[in-house]
Amino acid sequence: MKRLTLSWRLLWRNWRAGEMKILAVALLLAVTVVAGISIFTDRLQSAITRESHSFLAADRVINSSQPIAPEWRSLADQYRLQYAYTTQFASMVFAGDAMQLAAVKAVTDGYPLRGKLRISTQPFTTDTQQISVATGIPAAGEAWVDARLLPLLGISLGATVEVGEQPLRITRVIVEEPDGGNSFSPMGPRLLMNAADLQATGVIQPGSRISYNWLLAADDPQQLQGFLQQITPELSVHERIRDVASSQRRLANALGTARKFLSLSAMISVLLAGVAIAIAARRFASRHVEQVALLKSLGAGAGQIRGLYGAQLLWLGVITSLLGLVLGYGLQAMIVRLVGDLLPVTLLDPGWLALVPPALTGLVCLLCFAAPPLWHLPTVPPMKILRRELPVSAVRQYWQVLIGLLALLLLVAVFSRDWVLTLSLSTGLVVLVALGLLLAQLLLSWVQRYGNKSGNRWRLALASLQRNRQQTLIQTVVFALAVSLLLSLTGLRTSLLQDWQLQLPPETPNHFLLNVAPHQLNSVQQLMSDSQLTTEQFFPMVRGRLTHINGTEPGEEQRERTETLRRELNLSWTDHLNSDNKVIAGQWWDSWPAAGRVGVSVEQEAARQIGLQVGDQLRFSIGGLTLDATVASIRSLKWDSMNPNFYFLFSPQALDEFAPAYMTSFYIPPQQKAFINTLLRFDPTLVVIEMDRMLAQIQAIVNQVSRGVELMLLAVLAAGFLVMWAAVTSSFGERQQEAALLRALGSSRKQLLGSLWLEFSLLGLMSGIMAVAASEVLLLAMQRWVLEIPVRWHPGLWLWGVSASVLLIGAMGVFACRRTITTPPAVILRELT
Amino acid sequence: MLSVTNVGKRVTTSAGELEILKAVSFSLQAGTSLAITGASGSGKSTLLGILAGLDVPSSGDVQLAGQSLTQLDEEGRAALRAGHVGFVFQSFQLLPGLTALENVMLPLELHGVDDARAKAETFLQRVGLQQRLQHYPQQLSGGEQQRVAIARAFASEPDILFADEPTGNLDSTTGAHIIDLLFALNREQGTTLVLVTHEQRLADLCQQHLVMEGGEVVHFNGQQTAGALST
Repeated sequence: MKRLTLSWRLLWRNWRAGEMKILAVALLLAVTVVAGISIFTDRLQSAITRESHSFLAADRVINSSQPIAPEWRSLADQYRLQYAYTTQFASMVFAGDAMQLAAVKAVTDGYPLRGKLRISTQPFTTDTQQISVATGIPAAGEAWVDARLLPLLGISLGATVEVGEQPLRITRVIVEEPDGGNSFSPMGPRLLMNAADLQATGVIQPGSRISYNWLLAADDPQQLQGFLQQITPELSVHERIRDVASSQRRLANALGTARKFLSLSAMISVLLAGVAIAIAARRFASRHVEQVALLKSLGAGAGQIRGLYGAQLLWLGVITSLLGLVLGYGLQAMIVRLVGDLLPVTLLDPGWLALVPPALTGLVCLLCFAAPPLWHLPTVPPMKILRRELPVSAVRQYWQVLIGLLALLLLVAVFSRDWVLTLSLSTGLVVLVALGLLLAQLLLSWVQRYGNKSGNRWRLALASLQRNRQQTLIQTVVFALAVSLLLSLTGLRTSLLQDWQLQLPPETPNHFLLNVAPHQLNSVQQLMSDSQLTTEQFFPMVRGRLTHINGTEPGEEQRERTETLRRELNLSWTDHLNSDNKVIAGQWWDSWPAAGRVGVSVEQEAARQIGLQVGDQLRFSIGGLTLDATVASIRSLKWDSMNPNFYFLFSPQALDEFAPAYMTSFYIPPQQKAFINTLLRFDPTLVVIEMDRMLAQIQAIVNQVSRGVELMLLAVLAAGFLVMWAAVTSSFGERQQEAALLRALGSSRKQLLGSLWLEFSLLGLMSGIMAVAASEVLLLAMQRWVLEIPVRWHPGLWLWGVSASVLLIGAMGVFACRRTITTPPAVILRELT
Repeated sequence: MLSVTNVGKRVTTSAGELEILKAVSFSLQAGTSLAITGASGSGKSTLLGILAGLDVPSSGDVQLAGQSLTQLDEEGRAALRAGHVGFVFQSFQLLPGLTALENVMLPLELHGVDDARAKAETFLQRVGLQQRLQHYPQQLSGGEQQRVAIARAFASEPDILFADEPTGNLDSTTGAHIIDLLFALNREQGTTLVLVTHEQRLADLCQQHLVMEGGEVVHFNGQQTAGALST
């Protein structure tokens, strides 16, 4: 206890003497930044995840072609989950003599668990005053429908339709379904009914194609996770768990990238803070060698000294961690306050788990960055108190580097939970440090050779760089490290934002139009051009099933496992490929050797699932007819391009005899949204799939995350400055002595100031060149392998990166060493003796 | 109190092995004072370091407070220093971040003394610095800093005090005051005093006088030496 009290007193005295400020500030910064980012991203992620779950109308959906076992409900109750069921199928809807195929969805109470169902009593309205959020589901005996079903059946709201044998009165039109318009299935307009009426319809017969969905949601994600873990082994081949990632690939990609970027920022901040901690600890250790010798002469043993310093570090760690957590909480609250109104989502309260990484950060940083330089202190020989020249054995530099590297790996792994990122970043940094040391050596040799021919100030500056060769090397590499990480992150942010914007350029198609009959093509195109709307290519489309592969029918189990074999597919043909498609195996039609035969090009993921290769023979069943085709090529494609895309693209004219309907995608500006009504009035059998809401949502989320990304950059900048400051001040003592001596020997302030500027600017130049080169490599690697976004060069970086480095390090160096110039040399010399 | 038998010290340098102490032997009774003088590089400081247990001899033995230093490990020697030894250094060796009071309290705190603060205040008062308790070393003159160092050395009430050129960094007037203070406290507490000095006046105040040259004891109490001596 006495030791703890003593170490506390020593810590306080060291703090007061300014010995621990950089160390503490670096630690505090690391913990604060990590806490801020961790809590903020935790809140943002859970909110965004919840928001994106509205696309599923739930947090998770268990989807099956068979009824879902009702006994699982009690397990869901145990985990306090909310749930609802939807049963979806295509069925003819009758109104008198009129009939129409509709996409029926029977739902139970609670639907939708996430997102909002918007309804109206005015068909085709766009007036928000007339649209309300449903607070329940259709009552038994009632149905809510897509507005376009009304003209298709020639009825109006309030009329009664029949689904199978069950009459249902239409009481509302559906304006927006959370889990609605993201399917190409032209099953027809939606009819939403109460699941209680399902039995009475009599449409569910053995062999019917029904999609059963169990919608699940939980306030506590852990509960849901626990439930899913328990239930997953029980699932049959019919059942699969769908989450937002599987249903919204595009959104999941954007979120995944943003998450990686945020963790990367946190990690780089910690890494920079770690370097600052290591430098500060090194300085602290070197300044304490004599203190330890004194303590030893006063009778303190090595164990006692290790205990005293260890306890001081522990105190420091605990205090800065606690303070960092509080400040981090404040930081994220500030971020939320700054951008809160702009957030597309309501933030949830932070979870306690978010506090674990920042709390660990402080301790890991101390243990791995601060402890190694201090470790040797107890081995200082007590005789050093009498003979200053005695050497002190330090923990070998390579051990310090190795331990630092291990800490780095640990931190990167914890933050990114991504081994590729961990290894690429660590390797990049090791290579950077090694090359940096080599390059700095070369530059110094060059300076040595040519420096003597230069003027007075240059000579002073170059001599100073030469004299403190090791110091110069370390500083150059540390500066280069800090600058390159800052540049990398800035560049990465720009790439990321550009990439996101590229993904969603203005006027990205936001609607799909399906079911256009060949004879309607010209009229539809005319309607569009009358409204100044442009369309993408019109694709002929037929619905068909893949029935045979190389003459064999796929088995039941293979069908259950492979969605492509189970459901009807949209088939099309085209003679030219859009830019978002790329042939990765086989040949496109223009160079296909079997021209004249029917060929098919298969999307790579579908080909992988089914196990198709170029040359395989496929048989399709299309409207009762069969079509044989040879696999001519395998294509990769970008599903998120919003252009019409198909798993199976046939050779030109191959589908003409199957009476295809046409489809396309097009952009409707928000103010022309009513054009959909024009289209449906022209022909109610047209199918318009609205993607604009989802796109707007993605855009909003991307914007939000971009804002978060920029704020993180500020934190990383702060960490970068801290490292540089630590590196500049680490040589402060020697510089002070040198400057005082030079002034005592007659150098003018102007001369010294000039040489300081030159010295630090040269350091900045060397570091800048290394940093820009390194960040270019790091950026390319990260773009290519980590974030998986298109690779871009950054020519501008070479100009402003190097200039910024020269100016920044020059100014920082002069500012840090200003005391050496402004204080009378006698005062400095007296203090130093 | 102190018994030195055939102590030698060899170090390896780039120029080969160097013998910096050669078969030094003498002994000192409790309560007496000894001055070690000699030219720079004669081995005075090395001998002082070995006597105080800061360093170990390459050969021979040192008995301090009844214990053989060569039989103790570093931790054991530290414990011995903690219980019996005090130091005054030429360059004062005050910690710049601590006030005068805290500098004096430091060894007491290290040894777990309960009333460290009161004791430190008493000793600072005894060296005439009661008005300077909260001053930092850089706010004190050289003489005042050395008085703080003396207070720190005596506050632990050591059995033996080693002083390495205690007046080396001070002008002659201040040096004289410091010498007076050192000897006054030494008498009051009955401490054994071993000091290394260049100053003849200071050496003359000690009961014993040992002169070193080239790592050897050449005179002990004015007599040329040819072997072991004792008082």
